[in-house]
Amino acid sequence: MGVILPGLVPGPLPMHGIGGAKDLPISPELAISGAVAALTISFIVLALAWRTPRYDAATDGRPAPAALSTLVTSTGWSVAMRVLGLVVFGYAAFAAVLGEDLLTNPFFGMFYVWLWVGLVFFSAVLGPVWKAISPARTINLLFARISGSDPDEGLFRYPAWLGHWPAALGLYAFVWLELVYPYSTELGPVRLWCAAYVAVMLLGGALFGNDFYENADPFEVYSTLIGKLSPWIVREGRLHVISPLANLNTVVPRAGLVGVVAVLFGSTAFDSFKESAPWVRFVQTNSFIGENDLGLVADNLALLTFCVGVAVVLSVGSMLTGVHPGQSRLEMPRQLAHSVVPIILGYIVAHYLSYWFEVGQDTLIKASDPLTTGADYLGTGDWSVNYWLSYHPTLLANIKVIAVVLGHVVGVIAAHDRAVRLLPPRHHLTGQLGMLVAMVFFTAGGLYLLFAA
Amino acid sequence: MSRIPTRVLSLGAALLLPLALASCGSDEEPDAGTDGTTEPLVIEVTVADGSIDPKGDRIQVGVGQEIVFDITADEAGELHAHTTEELTLDYPAGESEQTMVVDQPGVVEVESHDIDQIIVQLQVS
Repeated sequence: MGVILPGLVPGPLPMHGIGGAKDLPISPELAISGAVAALTISFIVLALAWRTPRYDAATDGRPAPAALSTLVTSTGWSVAMRVLGLVVFGYAAFAAVLGEDLLTNPFFGMFYVWLWVGLVFFSAVLGPVWKAISPARTINLLFARISGSDPDEGLFRYPAWLGHWPAALGLYAFVWLELVYPYSTELGPVRLWCAAYVAVMLLGGALFGNDFYENADPFEVYSTLIGKLSPWIVREGRLHVISPLANLNTVVPRAGLVGVVAVLFGSTAFDSFKESAPWVRFVQTNSFIGENDLGLVADNLALLTFCVGVAVVLSVGSMLTGVHPGQSRLEMPRQLAHSVVPIILGYIVAHYLSYWFEVGQDTLIKASDPLTTGADYLGTGDWSVNYWLSYHPTLLANIKVIAVVLGHVVGVIAAHDRAVRLLPPRHHLTGQLGMLVAMVFFTAGGLYLLFAA
Repeated sequence: MSRIPTRVLSLGAALLLPLALASCGSDEEPDAGTDGTTEPLVIEVTVADGSIDPKGDRIQVGVGQEIVFDITADEAGELHAHTTEELTLDYPAGESEQTMVVDQPGVVEVESHDIDQIIVQLQVS
């Protein structure tokens, strides 16, 4: 059959990741109902449009119960969170370094499910989780304590022009590993990715201080961005409960924000797309691809196209507006990128809910035996996975569409509020149309992929 | 003025409600009625010269319905079905029949790892 040289792709399609069966596609009626609902609500928001911005994180909401506030802002809590992050990281490293290169190694599930998807769901409910548990921040903090320096300060100031671009690149590196790289479920490559991540994070922390993590840690940027949809904010040292829309308004429009948003949305869309029957058939039956072994190239190009495509649609949609004299149109994409975050969350729920619920449980069971020795350290070894969600495909399909449409509605409201804040009064309505079309395109595209996949 | 967002949200809910009701109306929870009473689904598979036909067709199948792969192969090999517990079906060179059943709704990919190709995607519902 021939020898497969290391590093060369053996065939046309990369084998896919962990987890067994995938979700069923949603019915065409459901997809169309969703798209119609999204479109209708968008125009209603536009028609009933308010003329003065109303989501102000500085004044919105009320203080949380005093006990909760004291707990969450206490040193004990932040230490407990840092310890939790370090313990889970240590356990994962233990499984990665000393465990077997088998799919029963819980490291894969911890990396692709607990971290990549779990972090999103926990951040949406609890706020910026990764910032609290990040092992890189903790190790940086420990080094600083030992050497007697300040973890917030590095050798240099983090350059503002760099912004979130390193995080966008890091996120792209993750989705490339998960979705395109043929050996995404082999221990060596994933372990190498993680080692490189930790190395870059520690180096960055030493060079630029904690600002590096806020700007350039892909997981922290992801978690903090999604965390803006939670109702929690700390104001004047006290925990407050505010409207997610007010919280979303506090997203800092740094350089590279559009890149981050584009990679997050584009990659989720690509994940759906690459499992769709038309793409699978195309890559496997096309003679040009077959003869020149271009299956991997096709997947690479498709991922890139989706991410760049989202960036282009977002940029064009947000720039099609009149502006104040002296205000630059080029600022618009960055100022409006935050409104895509709810759409991203809706789509992550739609695409990964059953995956997280089922493969997440499976990972918890496998985590009891990290070295595949037959051990049962956590006592979960003989549990079985509850597949309830998969056995209720209609309910699951409804949840998916409601999540996507809800994400769209929140996004449209956020974009409108930002538009009335930024644009000259006579462009308040017309200036939003481009952005509205862009968002309807994202939502309809997302619903189509849920139907076609 | 402060009631406008509330109005929007309640209008939004009013629009989402018929959506939810409409999709509940066409509920088709998989029940036990399909297994044992439906005929097995036969899929013809041809393995020749290092490639397999079909090349990624999407095929509808019932929960609990027997799936029969009617295989004509020039070399022995393995089919891998990505059900919840991955299933491996060995086939010899020549003609053979391999059967499997999927009890859980979802999309199951059947592929060959030796030839590195997705053969069919079974849409089980």
